[in-house]
Amino acid sequence: MTDSKKSAVILCTCGKQLGLDYGHLSSHLEKHELVSSVIVHDTCCQPDGLDSIVELVDSNDGRLVIAACTNQKIQPRIDMYLRTKNVDPSKIRYVNIREQSAWVHGDKSEATLKSLDMIKGAVAASSISQPLHVQKKTVPPHVTVVGGGIAGLETALSLSNLGYEVVLVEITDTLGGHVLNLPVVAPTGKSGAEVMKSRLDAIGKDNRIQVMTNTYVRFFEGEMGNFTVHYTSDGKDGTLHTSAVVMATGFKEFKPVQMDEYRYGKNPDVLTQYELSQMITAGDIKKPSSAQDVKEVVMVQCVGSRSEDYKRDCSKLCCTFAIDNAIELKERLPDVNVRVVYMDIRVPFENEMIYKKSRELGVDFIRGRVSMVWENDGQTRVKIYDSLMNQYFEVPADLLVLSSAVLPSDGLAELGETLGYMIEDDGHIKELYGKLRRNETRRRGVVAVGAATRPQFVFEAVTDAQAASLVLHNELQGGAIETLARGAVLEVDDCVGCSLCAQQCPRGVPLMIEQTESEEINPEQKLIFKASIDTLNCHACGVCQSLCPSGATQLNFISNEQLWAEITATLENAGPDRPITLCFYCEECAVSTIDIAGIRKMEYPATTRLVPVPCAGRVSIIDILKAFENGAGAVMIAACETDRCHVGGTGNEIAQVQVDVARDILNAIGWKGARVDMFRMFSAEPQRFIDAISEMTRRASEFGPTPVHNGEAGKWMEVVE
Amino acid sequence: MSSSTAVKEIAPKRKRMMDMILILGGLKEEAAIPLSRVNEEIANLKKEIEPLVSEILAFPSAYYQRFYEVSTKTNLPSQITDKGILTEAILNIEKALEFGESAGLSALKDALKEVLESMSAKPEENEKVSVDLNHVLKGLPKTTSQILDAVSVLEETSMKEQEQAKEELDSLMDGFTEIISDVDLDADTLLGKLQKIGTKTRYGPFLRVAAQLKRGKREERIDDERFKTLVTKNLVTEMRRGIIMFILNKMGSKTTPQIAGLSGLSPQDIQSAIVSMISRGEVEMVGIDGNAPVFAKVIGKAPDSTLVLKRALQQLRSVLKTMDDKTRHLVENPLNDLETAYSRLQMLGEYDEPLIAEPMKTLQDIGTKVAEAAIKSHAGDDSDELRLLVSAGLEAFARFRLKIALEKGPHLVSGVNVYGEKLDESTYQQIMDSYLNNELERGTILILIRELGAMTTKDLAERTDIPPDRILQHLLRMKRDELLTIAGESHGYILYDVPRTLTEAEVAIQTISSLALQTAEATKDLADTVSDLQPSSIGKLTSALDTLSKARDKMGKIEIGGTVIAKDLIANVEDKIKSAVAMGYRTRARIPSTRPKVTIEDLMDVDVPSVIDEYKGMMGYAPLLGFGTIEWVQSKCLGCKSCEIACPENAIELKPSIDVPQFFEFSDETLDSLPVNKSIFYRTVRNLATVKPSTKIALDEDKPGFGSVEVDLWLCVGCRTCVRRCPGTDDGALELILKWNLPEVIRQITAQN
Repeated sequence: MTDSKKSAVILCTCGKQLGLDYGHLSSHLEKHELVSSVIVHDTCCQPDGLDSIVELVDSNDGRLVIAACTNQKIQPRIDMYLRTKNVDPSKIRYVNIREQSAWVHGDKSEATLKSLDMIKGAVAASSISQPLHVQKKTVPPHVTVVGGGIAGLETALSLSNLGYEVVLVEITDTLGGHVLNLPVVAPTGKSGAEVMKSRLDAIGKDNRIQVMTNTYVRFFEGEMGNFTVHYTSDGKDGTLHTSAVVMATGFKEFKPVQMDEYRYGKNPDVLTQYELSQMITAGDIKKPSSAQDVKEVVMVQCVGSRSEDYKRDCSKLCCTFAIDNAIELKERLPDVNVRVVYMDIRVPFENEMIYKKSRELGVDFIRGRVSMVWENDGQTRVKIYDSLMNQYFEVPADLLVLSSAVLPSDGLAELGETLGYMIEDDGHIKELYGKLRRNETRRRGVVAVGAATRPQFVFEAVTDAQAASLVLHNELQGGAIETLARGAVLEVDDCVGCSLCAQQCPRGVPLMIEQTESEEINPEQKLIFKASIDTLNCHACGVCQSLCPSGATQLNFISNEQLWAEITATLENAGPDRPITLCFYCEECAVSTIDIAGIRKMEYPATTRLVPVPCAGRVSIIDILKAFENGAGAVMIAACETDRCHVGGTGNEIAQVQVDVARDILNAIGWKGARVDMFRMFSAEPQRFIDAISEMTRRASEFGPTPVHNGEAGKWMEVVE
Repeated sequence: MSSSTAVKEIAPKRKRMMDMILILGGLKEEAAIPLSRVNEEIANLKKEIEPLVSEILAFPSAYYQRFYEVSTKTNLPSQITDKGILTEAILNIEKALEFGESAGLSALKDALKEVLESMSAKPEENEKVSVDLNHVLKGLPKTTSQILDAVSVLEETSMKEQEQAKEELDSLMDGFTEIISDVDLDADTLLGKLQKIGTKTRYGPFLRVAAQLKRGKREERIDDERFKTLVTKNLVTEMRRGIIMFILNKMGSKTTPQIAGLSGLSPQDIQSAIVSMISRGEVEMVGIDGNAPVFAKVIGKAPDSTLVLKRALQQLRSVLKTMDDKTRHLVENPLNDLETAYSRLQMLGEYDEPLIAEPMKTLQDIGTKVAEAAIKSHAGDDSDELRLLVSAGLEAFARFRLKIALEKGPHLVSGVNVYGEKLDESTYQQIMDSYLNNELERGTILILIRELGAMTTKDLAERTDIPPDRILQHLLRMKRDELLTIAGESHGYILYDVPRTLTEAEVAIQTISSLALQTAEATKDLADTVSDLQPSSIGKLTSALDTLSKARDKMGKIEIGGTVIAKDLIANVEDKIKSAVAMGYRTRARIPSTRPKVTIEDLMDVDVPSVIDEYKGMMGYAPLLGFGTIEWVQSKCLGCKSCEIACPENAIELKPSIDVPQFFEFSDETLDSLPVNKSIFYRTVRNLATVKPSTKIALDEDKPGFGSVEVDLWLCVGCRTCVRRCPGTDDGALELILKWNLPEVIRQITAQN
């Protein structure tokens, strides 16, 4: 043991108000072989506290354990302060003795005992911490925007304003997309052309934006900072290098040709809502079949939307668009009769006003469905079922307008294969996390804006575009990108090539590379693969580490040795008399919930020891079994809710696998499998956490001493069959 | 390692693969005898067959002699009026004579030639007979009643046949009901019994299904339960179909209730069985009786007499309009009668054509003459060219299409059609020109064929100025419309003929001439092979014998004046020829194929891959790349699914099951060699255990990193990809054990048979 393994410990009293026996803590810790010094401070977060931290970090080669309040609050402050002093905070480890101990346990000595165990755990982990280095890389401040509709234009302009070079790729020959043809954009009252005009002008004048029309992207290569876009422009193939990609591919209007009941595609007087918009914008509202005046218009809502066969959910825009067009028709052709056949009218926000206006103008809203469309003597006729009056009636229609579903544009899935974003079941681009991390995709440096992710109104697409520009700017920093300091590091020599990491990584970061060079022409030669991890895209969840059979890939801030050392040290005093429940908690939803429980001072048994992990997916079956080996009476994992894993969706499911298999194995080898369990919670459900941890402590005491305590473990060899 | 999955039974797919090897080695032949005994077997055959051969060789020639004698006595050749038949018969006999002399045949040929020459010599006479329409039509009522009588006779015969068939059917049904009602029968016995009575129906699908089931059972491709359902459901249904087919075949067209009445089967069963028969193209609907559809067996082609009647009807109807009222009255009634006769013939389906041949021929004459008369009355000039053209026009007009076109066409130009479209006059002219031209050309072709006998495209092109390709188009079109039939071939060209009613004499000559050719060839082959019998000529021998046997059967059916010729001769040879055929087949089945091939001994040094390459060369693909089993070692397995992902055949799978007891068997050395975390995992589990588990853990779903590998030998082609991909310690957790060299493979199979 050299001195460099020793850590300093600073115990914060939070203004002398934590009910812990600091004398007991200090005296025990001072005797600890891995502790160099112990300081009790009243306010770590205040300037004098921060100064002592700087001093301790400096004098202990960065090894410092801070036992204070939740690191969610204190760590950012300390990190920031240390950086200003040019001190590396990356080896500091935190123990939450406030929310996780003093505030939730009434018994001072119990709370002190728990705090001591957890600090000892952190000290053990700290003794083998490695410093983390942020790597910087200079990349060209260049972004490619795919799609020249409202979202794409707005993103291009915003990024240009932020100082980026932008290439705007548009598949058709004109910029503007669908919006250009809208006669009126709710709720502005302006036409689509007016809305677009200023932006198109700005694009034209902006020499940082290069517009490529008649161009489509074939596929992508590379990663953030170094993407290659392979495109075809005017029939010629080309490539361009860019640092980030914005997917603004908009939507595709559903053409209901396969819905025979509406006769779309067979009867020229049947058109879609967007086709009517185009007709109104062109200013020539006539019956397409005969060029006669239009007197009777029937609009049908939810054509393809809210249907099991086509688009299962609501397309959101169609009600508003239909009403916009109905008003427009009423204003331009005062004699026209407009009937809207609907299931539910869904006009959000201030669009409610135009709905009111349309009713005042005499637009007839009929709740029901169209049951039949046919032609009689050049006249389209429509049979409508009115579900409010429960009767059928038949009306003539000069125009039958179908508000058809809004679908993702073609080719999204194909581009996703090379660009690495995920696709939702409905074909739209899947965002990283529906609640908190919209616009971002699974891939760093790739954002999705506008209707590429879901149907959006014009104003939504605009805010989306602006938000995404800032998200990208945050990543690119004008061209100086950083790898995340925390991440998985692969020791290639240890990699056996099993591909479990590549199969299960929520971000799809590891790639399996075949080692072709080492191969001879021999049919029996092994096919050797090695993983390759691009830490730039890693979000440090630890799923790969949990699954890796050879320990080749490990998180740089919580290696296997560190976690196992922490488990061992934390459970040092876990004897048969006081069954200890060890709780691994994720630093996403679980930590937040546990902190809330602490702030609200909701009590739970003090026979609990909490160990943080970045994501529940970091906990492997070995970690669970090690906990039992070291005397834990019960082990639990607290994680995010199902489908709500914050690191990309599946970390909690990997944790579930470990728990399930551990339970089965425990049952098989003569243990009570129920000693291990997994609990899920949202970020502000303290009661759920209290219930969970109480249940586990109950089980721990009910099952009593474990075979480890009883000395039965490992005695299977002596059992005579 | 201790419990490797022992493969006692060979998976069916693998067995098929092994068959590949056997086929390649020429070792796969049922009941084959060792090569050493082949010569002995051949010698035996020769000894057995030689006494029979001389008589077999002699009988065709003797038969033809007798046939010639009878034919001269009855003046048979002169009864033949169809030039086409004569020419073809002479041609066939000439070819037959090239194989060997036969006094009877050459005499017959000369006689036929004489008739043909006399026919060509007196072409003019019929021409001059003036045709009086009324005179011609006078014969119509009589002919009609003759036809009706003949149809009645045919129906009676068919009724009689039906009665006979009814007895057969009853015994068949008794057997069937007995078997079906015996619930205690096990599936095997049921199959055997069904097969026994089912053969009486001679219903192909039934026989095939029964045979397949039996084979499937024997080769254990079908498990017992499935076998039982297949026998009790599918096979019984096929049996019902066989019964239905038997009825339709022997008792004529029937409705479902009629079939039900005859067979005692429930109408529902019949209805559901018949649906598939319709879709199989075995049964068709030919009419309606009351409310019930009448079903009949599908026959390949309507009998020529039916077609002739159809044509005569068309001809008569077409000229009906041009007749004066009186004549029309004369024609109308017979015409209606003929209509019924036509539909009755259709109901009969197949019937004994010669019975109705005489009146049909007269009717055909009347039809032709009526057409001619109509021509005469319309065209003054009787120059040959014009006559042909006009009659061609009339011929064409007799068909519905032209009539419609001529009637409707002008209206299209003057008015509009239902869609409001108007036809441009010049377009109309163009359409009509080409249309009329086509129809006239077709008419010309029909008339030429009718008068001069069957003709080829080449013949027709020579006689008309129409280019051959157009002629061929017309011929094909008219064949589709059932106006022409294919009558054989001449010098590589197909002969087209109008449907004709053949007399007994014509049928006899036609059959005899084709038999003459077949038997001549077969006799020669037989004589050649038997004189020096070699294993390699066994195939030729059996097929020659087979041809002769079938020819004999046909001879027994040729009748002149109601009697079979040389009945005694044919009967005498029957036993001999049939047993010779049987002996030939038996020996052929026992002799291994005689092409060059490897013996088991030769295969000793052959390795599997080279054989597979050879097979690939022959077949273009190989169903497998090697033989062996995949051994899986759990201790080395990482549960990573790489094998499953890499397998091109989906043969290997990581199953959600953990063999925990195995964890306790790994040696320390094994544990030391594992990837570090795997090793820690196993050691921790062992450290914690209080008991050694005895059963595997069944997981409820796939868990990454955990599981047991299973290989499906049905699917594994031994490509080794999984073995190469496996990242497990040392050489991986998987091993392909190529333990079978070819002789071992073969022994494995032969031992099982």
